[in-house]
Amino acid sequence: MRIMINGRQLDVSGEKTILEVARSSGIFIPSLCDHPSLAPFGGCRLCLVEIKGRQGYPPACCTYAEEGQDIVTETPELQAIRRQVLELILSEHPHACLMCAEKKNCDEYKTTIRKVGEVTGCVLCPSNGRCELQDVVEAMKIDRVGFPASYRNFDVRRDDPFFDRNYNLCILCGRCVRVCQEVRGASAISFVFRGSQAVVGTAFDRPLLESGCQLCGACVDVCPTGALAERASRGEALPDEEAETICPLCSIGCGLKASLRGGRIVSFAPTNAEAVNRGQACVKGRFILRDIVYSSKRILKPLVRRNGELHETGWDEALDFVAGKLKGYVGKNLAFVSSTQVSLEDMHVFDRFTRDVLRTDQIVSFRNHSPLTSFWKEIRMNGQPAELNFDLDSISTAKTIVAIGADIVISHPIIWVEVFRALRNGARLVVIDERDSGLERHASFRLRVQTGREFSLLNRISLKLLENNPENPHSQVKGYETWRESLLNEKKAAFARADIDEAEVDSAARLLAERQPTVFLIGPSVVNSAAGSANLRALWNLAQVCGARLIPLAGENNERGAFEVWARSSDRVLSIEEAHFKISRREYKALYLAGPLPALPDAAADFLVIQDCFMSENARQADAVLPAATFAECGGTFVNVEGRIRKFKNIIKPLGEARPDWWIICRLAEKMDARVFGFQNAAEILSDLGRTRPVFEPASHWQQKKDNPVFIFEEKKDAGQFLSWESPELAVRKAEARSSPAASARDLDYYRSLNLVEESKGLRKLRKLREK
Amino acid sequence: MKRISHPSQLQDWKRRLLAERRSCDKTIVVSSGTCGQASGSLQIIEALNSEIEKKDLRETVGLEITGCHGFCELEPNIVIYPQGIFYKKLTPDDIPRVIDETILKNKIVPSLIYEDPKTGRRFPLQKDIPFYQKQVRLLTENNFRIDPTRIEDYIMIDGYQALAKVLFDMTAEEVIAEIRASDLRGRGGAGFPTGLKWQLVRNAATANRDCKYLICNADEGDPGAYMDRSLLEGNPHSVIEGMIIGAYAIGAAEGYIYVRMEYPLAVRHVTFALEQARARGLLGNSILGSEFHFDIHIVEGAGAFVSGEETSLMASIEGRRAFPRQRPPFPALEGLWGKPTCINNVETWANVPLIINRGAKEYSKIGTVGSRGTKIFSLVGKINSTGLVEVPMGITLREIIYDIGGGIKEGKKFKAVQTGGPSGGCIPAEKLDLPIDYDTLTQAGSIMGSGGMIVMDEDTCMVDVARYFLHFTQEESCGKCVPCRVGTRQMHDILTRITRGLGEEKDLGQLEELANSVQSASLCGLGQTAPNPVLTTLRYFWPEYEAHIREKSCPALVCKDLLVYYIEPGKCVGCLLCKKGCPVEAISGERKKVHVIDQDACIKCGACLEICPPKIKAVFKYTGKKKGKILKKKLS
Repeated sequence: MRIMINGRQLDVSGEKTILEVARSSGIFIPSLCDHPSLAPFGGCRLCLVEIKGRQGYPPACCTYAEEGQDIVTETPELQAIRRQVLELILSEHPHACLMCAEKKNCDEYKTTIRKVGEVTGCVLCPSNGRCELQDVVEAMKIDRVGFPASYRNFDVRRDDPFFDRNYNLCILCGRCVRVCQEVRGASAISFVFRGSQAVVGTAFDRPLLESGCQLCGACVDVCPTGALAERASRGEALPDEEAETICPLCSIGCGLKASLRGGRIVSFAPTNAEAVNRGQACVKGRFILRDIVYSSKRILKPLVRRNGELHETGWDEALDFVAGKLKGYVGKNLAFVSSTQVSLEDMHVFDRFTRDVLRTDQIVSFRNHSPLTSFWKEIRMNGQPAELNFDLDSISTAKTIVAIGADIVISHPIIWVEVFRALRNGARLVVIDERDSGLERHASFRLRVQTGREFSLLNRISLKLLENNPENPHSQVKGYETWRESLLNEKKAAFARADIDEAEVDSAARLLAERQPTVFLIGPSVVNSAAGSANLRALWNLAQVCGARLIPLAGENNERGAFEVWARSSDRVLSIEEAHFKISRREYKALYLAGPLPALPDAAADFLVIQDCFMSENARQADAVLPAATFAECGGTFVNVEGRIRKFKNIIKPLGEARPDWWIICRLAEKMDARVFGFQNAAEILSDLGRTRPVFEPASHWQQKKDNPVFIFEEKKDAGQFLSWESPELAVRKAEARSSPAASARDLDYYRSLNLVEESKGLRKLRKLREK
Repeated sequence: MKRISHPSQLQDWKRRLLAERRSCDKTIVVSSGTCGQASGSLQIIEALNSEIEKKDLRETVGLEITGCHGFCELEPNIVIYPQGIFYKKLTPDDIPRVIDETILKNKIVPSLIYEDPKTGRRFPLQKDIPFYQKQVRLLTENNFRIDPTRIEDYIMIDGYQALAKVLFDMTAEEVIAEIRASDLRGRGGAGFPTGLKWQLVRNAATANRDCKYLICNADEGDPGAYMDRSLLEGNPHSVIEGMIIGAYAIGAAEGYIYVRMEYPLAVRHVTFALEQARARGLLGNSILGSEFHFDIHIVEGAGAFVSGEETSLMASIEGRRAFPRQRPPFPALEGLWGKPTCINNVETWANVPLIINRGAKEYSKIGTVGSRGTKIFSLVGKINSTGLVEVPMGITLREIIYDIGGGIKEGKKFKAVQTGGPSGGCIPAEKLDLPIDYDTLTQAGSIMGSGGMIVMDEDTCMVDVARYFLHFTQEESCGKCVPCRVGTRQMHDILTRITRGLGEEKDLGQLEELANSVQSASLCGLGQTAPNPVLTTLRYFWPEYEAHIREKSCPALVCKDLLVYYIEPGKCVGCLLCKKGCPVEAISGERKKVHVIDQDACIKCGACLEICPPKIKAVFKYTGKKKGKILKKKLS
């Protein structure tokens, strides 16, 4: 369609507001409440325009472009109204600096006595210099406010971790309220009171932490003024540099923008660059990441044990020492532990180092309850065409979402954002979990089933679906008859035990049958229990019946990458629990820990090397400690939960003597006279990886195109079949034999060996509140 | 209770009810709406009951408790049929006399009948009282005849006959055509043609093949307005019947009545009425045995004025904060839960059965070309006969105020009338002959609004009135859009400054400019109409503003800061009354000697003026130059 703005013909495709059209065509219409990721609001009334043939002054942010509209954005009347509206906003907002005649000089030469406080002016405001209100005042050339100032004298709210809320600076654009309600699904804040008393606040004015806030910081990111400001960057000067990176913590891998000042990171904020996190992040990526990089626990120099004490030393000496010692253990009982939060490059070098140099079989990396590995073992290894790659859009466009044992609000906040997007579009949520996670309040059905007995419920739903659909299209599928037999056989014995209401099963089954596409999000507690195998098979079979997509949720950032590098086709991978068990029994003579491991017993091995970013209990008893660089200091490649391959660059230089993991290993290999690989940079490693492992082929001829995502190569298989399943009773009995600790979202509160909950007081408060 | 599954059964029921009706010699009808109960009607009912019991008149005397009769000034009142004798302002002590004299001896009790304060004429019969005589009470007349808790009473006056006609003799299109032919316009204030709205919802719904909703807006928030309350309390079935007919016309299966929780009696009566209608098969599945299903829920508002705005009302039903949203899309296309929604005011719905029963042609004979039918106004303020009045559109203000309302209290001069509640405007004396309809009121700078009508006399300061209404709107603004949230507050601040004598010449220009900006920039009707009191008073009473600013005087002697209280030495007899009555001991003086007010200590509460005996009348309020003189005198 074509519309006209200020006499300019513009082509518009799709449903767009006049404001969006104007913005994309470079026509300036002042606006403060509108935000690209939020629904139109129409509160600030600055974007009023005139449309020929239409009465009054419709706001451009709420008015959709229609064929043939003739729009004028600047007339004397409009300017007068806008001016008055902006003056009204400023009458409540400190504006001494905005109106000051010395404004320009003050910015450049500090000519004025800078006594003006946050209460009346801008100079001390945390958003000074990046404030949208300042921009609008500048653009509209407002130099006086015709109304007496009527400031509201609120106390600044400082009760919550990470950011302050100073509602004296609030212009009630409602962005924070809307992002909390529309995007994050938390609804922790709302407008309270009416009229000129109206303000943003929590229920009963309690701290955010007690109001269901997850401290994701989305409100801080959309605030146009300094009303919501990150405490850590308060008082910092404006950043002089910005750099993009990827959060290394959970398996989403949010795109982040780091603000730097003088080569130091000031803060991280989510970006909109790729269709992964779409401008959203979580408390960890938004507020804690900076503290991780600059943690006081960082190891900044190589340490070597001499006379029973760890001493700082140079790289040469340290590497010589480690190389010399390690030579004695080559091919013997030696274990190498990797983190799943390191880059693909690091992993590949670890892999080659253990295979070609150490000649050991033991790589340890996975937590026992990674749904990804269990799913692979149980389903794909049984010849089923289970795909691992998916797109986050397949969640937001689903009509039914089943979260089973998945505490996604905490463990995968961005997946929750996608789920919530689907819910707002009319999708239904089914929560299957024994524990309360907060997710259930959004659920259409909440099926409470004892952890370890999920298969029983799932099988009942499958059976219900079969009963409800007499024209069964699955009867020809391989394995169907056996499976159905087993369901019917177990019906009395097992089903009777499950304390699930028949009506609930019926409703859930009907939902799955009627509302498609369906997505199952599989969390760690499903696979962690003894019944993990039965659970996964029951899930698979149910998915066959109702045509659902199963998504096992990888935990840590590069877990999928680690899985592709080692675990997929190899049995030399142990889980952390298995390894810890073996180490405790002193089965290894030497240990090389480049990843986290729970605290070891004293003298767990004859020789212990730690390669990590942070000091830990284990590092204290190591023979040598090699300082690794964090994600911020080295570039690399991550694979996220979707199977999406993404590159990131270093944003700062390595702190102290820290070096990238691959660099340390390569140099160590050289010292051990192993000339099999001598990589000098990350690109060489990646192309070597692409050559040796075809799944990474797409990554090696990488092209940095934003709208062209690169995924792990995944071969498609034929149609699936039904998997027979073990008698649940047997499975449970087996479970009792090897019980492992309950999976929890807190397992993900780590960066390598650093426990974020211990490191960050704010996160500690947040997690503690949840445990209550 | 038997469900009615055929229209003929409705007829049978009505016939049976009429036949079974107990024929009483006399029937006493007690007005017992919220206003009546507040003035003591419940005690009257108790007294009547015990008196009837005592005199053993159960068989011959009927007692009917109805909703509001409209004449609030004279609550609690009763009407005794068949004659139609009207007794006003009763106390329980009057009841024995009423029974002895009127019921038993057929004599009128002279002290209880209405006396016109203007002419002194006495009117024993309700129908002769001027307040009622000039009204055309199409909707409110039934309040005399119906016990709102008994569906049978409504059935006996042809209740639900319009519904039967619509369901069995008319198509939905014919119903809409009939409503369109009647030219009925929304009674909620904006005056949108009802039939057109229905048509839009019907079309939208068929286009989307979507479910749709119907809402009755009973969130009557204007201070001093209670038309909707009276209808819901006094005749809930008429509103329900109208809604069912509307639902049939637009094809809705679900409806809501959004009523203020401050109207507990209305909520009770409507809840009761819905239950009765449901039990009788007049609501719910297969209404009257037809294939039409429709049910109504009640949602109680939480006391926000802005909830009366349609989009914020719907937000409130959805469980969200009552924030209005930008229109378009209009509710007819995207309303409750995003579905096409027809929302009309209580009075509009109550008009619907009337139009169907009488026929559009007959109905549209009442009123003017653009505005058909009657309108209920709540006539309050400095007027002799306050109450609810139902008048044909096109009647003049003068007729309402002087003929129906009985003129201004204490024979004072009429100054202005505020129509349409806090968002309406003030209409001055020179417009008294304005025929009232939607369009003339808009031209005069005011609005029809839901029908509030506040009469002001010469003792009213128009600047203060504007300030009062702005105080209301700025407190009731929802806070969403800037012009309304901050603009009304700033207007209120300017007006406050002016009434305190701190106004400057430039304030008036700024006030007018700001008022215009708030009007054109605000998001919803609340903000768009909030400046009306300011703009109309500026338009019609400019000199009064000037006096406040230039001379620092309040011609109406209202604005405290511009007044002095002064005891005229020539008149004071030194009775000590005012001295004793002064709460701050600002008056000095001895017996038989002239009293003096210490102007520094005086808080201008007016106690001295009230206390000073009318015979003496020594205390005066002065403003402007005279005030200056008095203060100067004190200095010297």
